[in-house]
Amino acid sequence: MAEGRVEGISKVTGSGKYAAEYKVDNVCYGVIVGSTIPAGEIEAYHLDDAKEVAGVLDIITHLNRPSIPAFENEESIKKSGFSLPVLHTDKVFFKGQPIALVIAETLEDATYAASLVTATYKQSSFNVDFDTTHPSIPLAGTGKERGTMDAWSNAAFVADAEYNIKHEVHNPMEMHATIATWVSKDKLKLWDKNQGVNNVQGTLSRLWKMPAANIEVISEFVGGGFGAGLLVWPHVLMTVMAAQQVKRPVKVVLTRPQMFTLVGYRPQAWQKVKIGADKDGNFLGILHQSKHSKSVYDNYREGITRISRMLYKIPNAKTEEATVSLNLSAPTWMRGPGDCSGAFGLECAIDELSYQLKKDPVQLRLQNLATEIDPDTQKPWSTNFLNECVEKGAANIEWAKYRKAQPASVKEGDWMIGYGMACGMWFAGRSKASAGIKMQKDGTISVETAMTDIGTGTGTGMQNIAHDNLGIPKNKIKVNLGNSNLPAAPSQGGSTGLSTMSGAVVAACNEFRKKIAELASVVDEAYKHVNPADIVFTKNGVALQTQGNRPVSYENIFAKNNLEIIDVQATSGPGEERQKYAFCSGAAHFVRVKVHAKTGKVKVDKIVSVVDAGYVVNDKAAANQISGAAVGGLGMALTEEQLVDHKLGCVVGNDLAGYHFPVNADAPIIDVSFIGKPDVNINPAGAKGLGEVGIIGMAPAVANAIYNATGKRLRNLPITPDKVLMA
Amino acid sequence: MEKQTISRRFFLFTSSMAASLAFIPAGVKAFYNNVKRAIVRSKEKETVSIIVNKQKHTLSVDSRTTLLDLLREELHLTGSKKGCDHGQCGACTVHIDGQRALSCLSLAVMMEGHEITTIEGLAQDGKLHPMQQAFLECDGFQCGYCTPGQIMSAVACVNEGRTGSVAEIKEFMSGNLCRCGAYNGIVESIQKVAAR
Repeated sequence: MAEGRVEGISKVTGSGKYAAEYKVDNVCYGVIVGSTIPAGEIEAYHLDDAKEVAGVLDIITHLNRPSIPAFENEESIKKSGFSLPVLHTDKVFFKGQPIALVIAETLEDATYAASLVTATYKQSSFNVDFDTTHPSIPLAGTGKERGTMDAWSNAAFVADAEYNIKHEVHNPMEMHATIATWVSKDKLKLWDKNQGVNNVQGTLSRLWKMPAANIEVISEFVGGGFGAGLLVWPHVLMTVMAAQQVKRPVKVVLTRPQMFTLVGYRPQAWQKVKIGADKDGNFLGILHQSKHSKSVYDNYREGITRISRMLYKIPNAKTEEATVSLNLSAPTWMRGPGDCSGAFGLECAIDELSYQLKKDPVQLRLQNLATEIDPDTQKPWSTNFLNECVEKGAANIEWAKYRKAQPASVKEGDWMIGYGMACGMWFAGRSKASAGIKMQKDGTISVETAMTDIGTGTGTGMQNIAHDNLGIPKNKIKVNLGNSNLPAAPSQGGSTGLSTMSGAVVAACNEFRKKIAELASVVDEAYKHVNPADIVFTKNGVALQTQGNRPVSYENIFAKNNLEIIDVQATSGPGEERQKYAFCSGAAHFVRVKVHAKTGKVKVDKIVSVVDAGYVVNDKAAANQISGAAVGGLGMALTEEQLVDHKLGCVVGNDLAGYHFPVNADAPIIDVSFIGKPDVNINPAGAKGLGEVGIIGMAPAVANAIYNATGKRLRNLPITPDKVLMA
Repeated sequence: MEKQTISRRFFLFTSSMAASLAFIPAGVKAFYNNVKRAIVRSKEKETVSIIVNKQKHTLSVDSRTTLLDLLREELHLTGSKKGCDHGQCGACTVHIDGQRALSCLSLAVMMEGHEITTIEGLAQDGKLHPMQQAFLECDGFQCGYCTPGQIMSAVACVNEGRTGSVAEIKEFMSGNLCRCGAYNGIVESIQKVAAR
């Protein structure tokens, strides 16, 4: 039987419990009521009708909710870092902002009663129009400027264009949900959908001014994150307040339409890229400018132009950014935040330059990639095999054979065929984390951490690493994760999960070997002076690779030491290597598109992604992530667009029928491969993160292929059929 | 079928009324609210006998409860997932009398006498269904949330003989969204079972 993920059986049988699925005695249901205006103040609530509904227990608003200690007054709210003090303000900043929570015995009662809650408001003027607002917002320099703009004013070839990306929404399949219960007056327990249990625990501890140890957060199964689960959102606070109010466990599950406004999104972005090259195609200078949307109440900012300072050898580089405040909910990090948007501008501009230069875009990139030194920090890359990614990708899609330099030159009936490519890069991070190993008397172990597994395969990766280090068979290694009582770990985001955990698990394995040597020495003195690395774990006990085997049974170890369980913990994090080197993951994406001449429909029928992510801990899960990211990139390129109604001041079509991310038939079978060379400096496993880099560069690869197919340069995402036809 | 068409029209009619009334003075709105309360009855319970995974349940059910909420909130069979509650994502797919169906679009009170199979009922005698085994082997998931719905639809895909090509499988499976984008593995799993 081929082996699957460590949690695979739970997922294919439906037995794994996601946040809303725990059976909690006496639980009642909360349903959020959103504001019906985009800006203003609440004057009065009208709750009488809702209160009459059978089963309604209470309705909390900013007038009657239990107070969150950190939201005591304006000043403490500012200090809390929470830009939206939910139910602690009468101000409305966007349409759909939570203004009340109806708590009832059943979901049906609560849903019906919530439909009867209304409020009267004092309305203010509002603005939700990014396109007409951004031109008046001034740009400011960001990052380190290199050289001067004058130095390349006479460049032989210059591409200079503007690019736009619409507001996109994460939409993990599991809707965010929280069950909160006050176990006692000062003890709180949550089953919550998030990407970091310790972050939720710490945030609630600060807000409620109670010890973190008194708050338990459980997120064992997480139905997708993509960044939406990195913050503690208003509904979590509302659930905790509600549980306090009705003195019962309360469950709140967002509706899918609420998922579009209450847990963040990728902001709308405008970019201008001007890039120059000499007659041989050597890049001389770049000016990358960007502005993105944000909410009026929040200061979210993402570095869209950063990638232009990192990817290529460009002697003169200047980047400028700005944000545009709108009466929409707050955006947040979404898969490949910043770089994913920035790569669209940069990688399309380079493609435009390649046609001016009459130079193959593959060659143009190979000539200019900065694979030795990070141009931004001037530190050497620890490893950067982006050039190999480009070469391998070109070979896998047979670029040289099929890609025609002349746009709009290949037709199959009504379909125009084109090839395009682009690169992606993401910083390879690593954080500090702890992991624990527990051994039972039968010799089975569990590897433990508070870190979540949002579907990336973190748990399976931890099992693989423990197996590689200890030699214990995988079926004897369990993984426990996603609980704040387990050894502390940071949130799972920014492609740092496995990079971080691999260090912690290796450290725990080393600690475990030391502990076993110590305990075995009670049985056999030979273990006193043994090198812990010499210990081998067998079916029934341990032995030594040297010194004539000397087996000691687990039974004896436990008995002689009078133990019920062997338990170790270790912490590991980045060190000096971060001062010496710059770290990155890289990807090259190649696509073949068919564009229908009469309807403008774009069909991507081939995708090749080649990724440099260091040592690949688990081939299958890694390839799955990259192909999944490619699907996400297809959505960005062709279909994903959150519509905003400028008159009503709100998002519209905010459900899965109105917002289109790719279905199975939208994506081809995706060809993924890895360079696989370990990065020996980043962590003991040599593994670099790969969650983001798969999507960064995918959208420009598609746009570039559409140009190759049609001769039409489409600079506004998503590239829907109408845009293709009108171009 | 006839009944559903009427109720859909009625729904569209009432919601367009609601939309147009948004621009009408408060007194009229209050009137509309009264009308709405008269239309949507608050609570009505009915006794229903349904068979879920070969086990019979006789339950007193709120007439507004969907089959999905009955499974998840009353029977604690949480394998069927809620991804949209509007029939847009496929995560709640179950088999009703052997036919694939969206449990979020089926009211529990309509299930009298019907036989429901959920993901929890797919494995037999402690042995995984071949489709579950294939999803495990082909890594046909990441976060796992859409997986039960994918598997229930995948079983139907094979049963209905829609596995002739990758394109045919992809088309058939396009009612089951996967935001992780694990479509490669989903198609491979179905091909594997179809080939047996």
